[in-house]
Amino acid sequence: MMWKERYRVGVDLIDEQHMELFKRLSNFIQIVQNDIPWEKKMGEVQETLDFMADYVVYHFDDEEKLQAEINYPDIEIHKEAHRVFKEGINDYVKIFEQGEFTEEKIKEFSAKLMAWLIMHVGKMDQKIGQYVREKGGQA
Amino acid sequence: MKAESINAFYSATQDVFHLMLDLGVERGEIKIVDGLVSSKDANVILGVTGDLKGTILFSFPKNMTLEMVKIMSGMEMNTIDGFVSSALGEVANIIGGNAATNLTTHNYICDIVPPQVIVGQYESLSLANRNALQIPLVTDIGEFDINIFLAEK
Ligand SMILES: [Fe+2]
Repeated sequence: MMWKERYRVGVDLIDEQHMELFKRLSNFIQIVQNDIPWEKKMGEVQETLDFMADYVVYHFDDEEKLQAEINYPDIEIHKEAHRVFKEGINDYVKIFEQGEFTEEKIKEFSAKLMAWLIMHVGKMDQKIGQYVREKGGQA
Repeated sequence: MKAESINAFYSATQDVFHLMLDLGVERGEIKIVDGLVSSKDANVILGVTGDLKGTILFSFPKNMTLEMVKIMSGMEMNTIDGFVSSALGEVANIIGGNAATNLTTHNYICDIVPPQVIVGQYESLSLANRNALQIPLVTDIGEFDINIFLAEK
C-alpha cells in the first residue's frame, strides 16, 4: 500500500482525498508496471492518467477552499506549491499529447508524480494539520 | 565552502529520507577522492550552477535502490527499470533542491540542473586534477554515498 499513516494531516476531508489520490496513483503505477504489452494497455493507461490528473486539480481546489475557510496563514505559499505541482503534471500531459506517449515516458512521469505527492503530503500538507491543531479542534 | 556544502547536502538528505522514506541517515568518515568515480549500481548526477558550480554524484547499491522505491510505492520492485531510476532521480533532485535552499542561508545562491540517472558502474567524469569530497551515509536499508565537487564562482 502506498498510503501511510504518517501522511495523515488530521483533517478528515483532506485525508480522505489524499487516500483516494494515493490509491489512484498506486493503481496507475500497477498498470504501468505490469507485464501486459504496452500496446495492449495504452488505452487503460490513458484513462487512469486522465482521471488522476483531473483528481489532483479537484483535490487542490478543495484543499485551497478549506485553507481559505480556516484563514490558513500560509495559503499563498501553498497555492504556489500547488501551481508548480500542476505545472509539472501539465508539462507531461503536453509531452504525451505531442505524441510521445511511450512506456518509458509514462514510467518517468508516474515515478515523479509519486515522489512529488509523498513530499507534498509529507511536508507541506502536514503544516495545515499543525495549524488546525494549534487553533484547537477540527477544521 | 566545504563545510557549508557538506552540511547543506547532509542535512537535506536527512530531511528528505526522513520525510519520504521514514529512514534515519548517519554520516561516516568523509574522504577526499580523485574525481567522481562510482563503484555502486545506481548513480544520480546533479549539476549545480550559480555561486557554487559543479557536480553532485549520488551512488546507491542496487538492493537499497529497490528497497527505497518499495517503501515509497508499497510495491515489490525487482529491477532498476525506468520507473525505479526515475523515482531515485527525483529523490536526489528533491535533496538537491533542499540543499540549495540550505545554502542560501550561507549566502550562496545556486540552482540544481535536472538529474541524470546512470544505472551500472562507471568511471567517467574526470575532474582534471581536482578532488571531490565523498560522504559515506548509512541507513537501515543500506549504505550509499554522496560525492560533492563544487567550486566557488
Ligand atoms: Fe496541498
